[in-house]
Amino acid sequence: MTRWLPRLVTVVVLAVWAFPLYWAVLSSLTPEARLFESPSLWPRAVTLEHYQTLFAERDFWTPIRNSLIVASATTLSSVIIGALCAYAIARLHFRFKGAVLGLILAVSMFPQISIVSPLFLLLRRLYLLNTYAGLVLPYLSFALPLTVWLLVAYFRQLPADLEQAAMIDGAGRLTILRRVIAPLAVPGLAAAAIVTFIFCWNEFLFALSFTVGPRRQTVPVAVALFRGQYRVPWGQILAASVLATAPVAALILVGQRWIIRGLTAGALKG
Amino acid sequence: MANQYPKLGRQPPQLRHTAMVAAAGWLSAVGACERPADPTQRITISGSAVGAEADVLKRQLKRFMLGHPHVRVELLQTPDAAEARHQLYVQWLNAGVGEPDILQLDVIWIAEFAAAGWLHPLDGFAPDTNDYFPAALRADRWNGRLFALPWFVDVGMIYWRTDLLDRAPASLDDLMEMADQARGAPGVYYGLVWQAARYEGLMCVFLEVLHAFGGRIVDADGSVAIDSREAVAALTFMRDAIHTRGVVPDASLTWQEEQVRFAFQNGQAAMMRNWPYAYGLMQDPAQSRVAGKFSVMPIPAGPGGTSAAALGGSHLAINAHSPDPQAAYKLLKYLVAPQQMLERARGVGQFPSRQSLYEHPELAEALAIPPAQARQIINHAVPRPVTPVYAELSELVQVAVHRVLTRQAEPAVALRRAADEVRSLLVRTGLSGPQTEDDPAASNPRGSE
Amino acid sequence: MPKQRDSGIEAADARLAWCCIAPALLVIVAIALVPLAWAAWASLHRNDLRMPWLGQSFVGLGNYAEAAGDARFRESLAHTGLFTAVSVAMELVLGLCLALGLHRAARLRGVIRMAVLLPWAIPTVAVALVWRFMFEDGYGVISAIWSPSSGGWLVGASAAWVPLILSDAWKTTPFVALLLLAGLQTIDDGQYEAARIDGAGRARQLLHVTLPALVPTIVVALIFRTLDAFRVFDLIYVLTGGGPGTSTETVALYTFNSLFGRLRFGYGSALSVIVFVVTFGLALLYIRALDPQRRGGDR
Repeated sequence: MTRWLPRLVTVVVLAVWAFPLYWAVLSSLTPEARLFESPSLWPRAVTLEHYQTLFAERDFWTPIRNSLIVASATTLSSVIIGALCAYAIARLHFRFKGAVLGLILAVSMFPQISIVSPLFLLLRRLYLLNTYAGLVLPYLSFALPLTVWLLVAYFRQLPADLEQAAMIDGAGRLTILRRVIAPLAVPGLAAAAIVTFIFCWNEFLFALSFTVGPRRQTVPVAVALFRGQYRVPWGQILAASVLATAPVAALILVGQRWIIRGLTAGALKG
Repeated sequence: MANQYPKLGRQPPQLRHTAMVAAAGWLSAVGACERPADPTQRITISGSAVGAEADVLKRQLKRFMLGHPHVRVELLQTPDAAEARHQLYVQWLNAGVGEPDILQLDVIWIAEFAAAGWLHPLDGFAPDTNDYFPAALRADRWNGRLFALPWFVDVGMIYWRTDLLDRAPASLDDLMEMADQARGAPGVYYGLVWQAARYEGLMCVFLEVLHAFGGRIVDADGSVAIDSREAVAALTFMRDAIHTRGVVPDASLTWQEEQVRFAFQNGQAAMMRNWPYAYGLMQDPAQSRVAGKFSVMPIPAGPGGTSAAALGGSHLAINAHSPDPQAAYKLLKYLVAPQQMLERARGVGQFPSRQSLYEHPELAEALAIPPAQARQIINHAVPRPVTPVYAELSELVQVAVHRVLTRQAEPAVALRRAADEVRSLLVRTGLSGPQTEDDPAASNPRGSE
Repeated sequence: MPKQRDSGIEAADARLAWCCIAPALLVIVAIALVPLAWAAWASLHRNDLRMPWLGQSFVGLGNYAEAAGDARFRESLAHTGLFTAVSVAMELVLGLCLALGLHRAARLRGVIRMAVLLPWAIPTVAVALVWRFMFEDGYGVISAIWSPSSGGWLVGASAAWVPLILSDAWKTTPFVALLLLAGLQTIDDGQYEAARIDGAGRARQLLHVTLPALVPTIVVALIFRTLDAFRVFDLIYVLTGGGPGTSTETVALYTFNSLFGRLRFGYGSALSVIVFVVTFGLALLYIRALDPQRRGGDR
């Protein structure tokens, strides 16, 4: 009895937890007319009309493209700059190392709302509002500390003997970086890139404040602002929510192990 | 075993080069994702894009583009509800983004946007303003400069049932009497219905009753007069109409335009106060039980006052950050030309803002309401105070009026408090009072500093 | 580390290190620190973007005084405190149960891993919309089961908190569970052995072995969750918009409304600074609490 009880409980818990996702997908496939009837657990009718409308009438490609560009650019910049910084913190000796790490950690705890207004005024003056750069730069304020934090933890638990051996052999720091560290770092970089991309894809406040109009809106903003209509188009909203989730779901499917290792290592050792 | 470390006095050149190239590449990659420069000129206009209005507007834009081959005009969607559109405009204009080039503005937003520096003055284009209704034009001026042109006007009016009443009421008291008597006819539960939810519509209704009693929001000498004797009388009248005489239902305290229209349209009310849009809708026998059985008139005068109609409507203005105001003005001028206004009247039933059109024979066919009647009502039009802080001012008055109507406060007390709050609002924001509502035919259009 | 260390090598190391961290530091200073200082400076001025003729006069602590007297701001603080306390407590308890349950499974299977990561990875906006849909009056699936009073969940001032807290717990409990699970996995089996030999049952083991060893991880989880809950914006903005009225308005939402709704950038900056100070204070408190526990921890 005690053997299958925990398993049963686990299954039940998982089922209950998964319910909202199931409900969202189900409703997004329900025809508009049926959507406002009393709810039923099993699909009564299935249609793709909401997804079609999203792309045909609402130009949902634009927010997707915007999100992809902004998230990719931020992730790329953040990983490059952050990896350098993280390696230095993890492996090199210099004064004030603790202070630097502390500073970076502190910045990751900044409430976004606290810097949104000066960033708005700054971007406005530089004519960067409603542009891609105008989103990528603010995004670095949370992406970079996150990347550094993850990679510091990762680099720290890389075995040091390979580096030591290379140094004894007379290789310079940069050569070590290129030949020894880089191959080892790939899983960590991948994890950091995935997590950073997810955070950028999901970001809402900056995208809401620094974009104006549908041309440069990202997916979360576009989905959230569907609401200001005469009658709330729930079918399309839920379809859009499902689409907004799909890429990140795919990403974590690919990188689950790395992500979990990266997140928990950072938490325990940070 | 010599440890050889590269000289790190300076970064090795390769690294520096790589860094610079990478930075340049990154910046241009991100920048290249922006839209490339367009060979054709692009003007964006934002406005009401629902139903008949959208159809008419799109037709007109298409014609404009045919006549101007190098220009592409795009219509930007905005939410339908006025407050949501206002909020969106505030966000857009505050961001200093160049689009939309042309904005459709509610008459009460112009001073606010002009004072904030978000609109491009039109004086430079020397538009001919003689033909527009003066009351509408007054909202377009701020600090001596012109910022918008009237597109169409809306006026509040009384719809009355010609089958229940044998003549139009001659005065406000007369109206109450007749409404009271008409109640009790089969299916008629209400004497008069009006918008009394706590929103801008209530301000319009209050404004009309206020003028009917001889009161003003702002006096001839520029001082706030919401707490005057006449204002108290007007508000008391409104409250009594609901609670003492029962001529107006207290359900109206949550009603906006549509609910009021439905009540009248279903034959449940002898009279209603509403905007012109309802006229055409109620003439459709398929939907309306009162088709052909009603007429319109301006709100009649009360004791010591004048007949007044709250002035609404939309105006067109140019974004201060528009990259090409000249091109935008061409489109604006096109849209407010008489022919386009007639087309709008025909398609949507909105009143043109040009006085000369009311002599035009085509308008009689275009409008559901006879132009002469419409003209008569517009002549009684009263604008709401032209001030950048109109939204706050209106909210202060709405709250006071609604509290009195829901019997949470006494008229004199509530109005005194609202007046004080408006005065301190004006002081706080460094604005000397808005212009009085009276027609300053000779006065200078200077709003305040 | 190489056994020989002459100062030349150390200095070269340090120089390389500074070159490596310079770009990151530059970005952080420019994008995060400078704006924060600017917000603090702006909070000492009056700046209403709708009224440029009023200028940007220096008002010292005037905005802060106004905030202290602002009932709506105090209410938003109370709302935020309530939300933080309830959701963090809930997530901690549920997360602990979940972690203990998952600890039994020898290895995290793929499905369970996905199930744990997915809610964390979903955009908050999507979560808010789905939960809002479930609680809508009339056709929401939760409303069909039970609805408080007349207008439904989203119309009642107190009832509206339920979907907010539940959706937040739904989204972040898995993450908390993950953290706690990692902590659980570092506990030495030997300690359980010792306890069992001493005759302790399951419950006693839990109390005397597991929980004490988990305390550092719990505190870390508390730090993250408390700070996140205090800063909550996306969820509230999309699910209730702060409504009905302002009864679910949190501090971040009120600050946003002051900045972008009413365009009062001076006052909004003061609110931003207050939010920052409180967040920082909370973080410091926790870190202070964390330090004694980690006397031997590596840094």
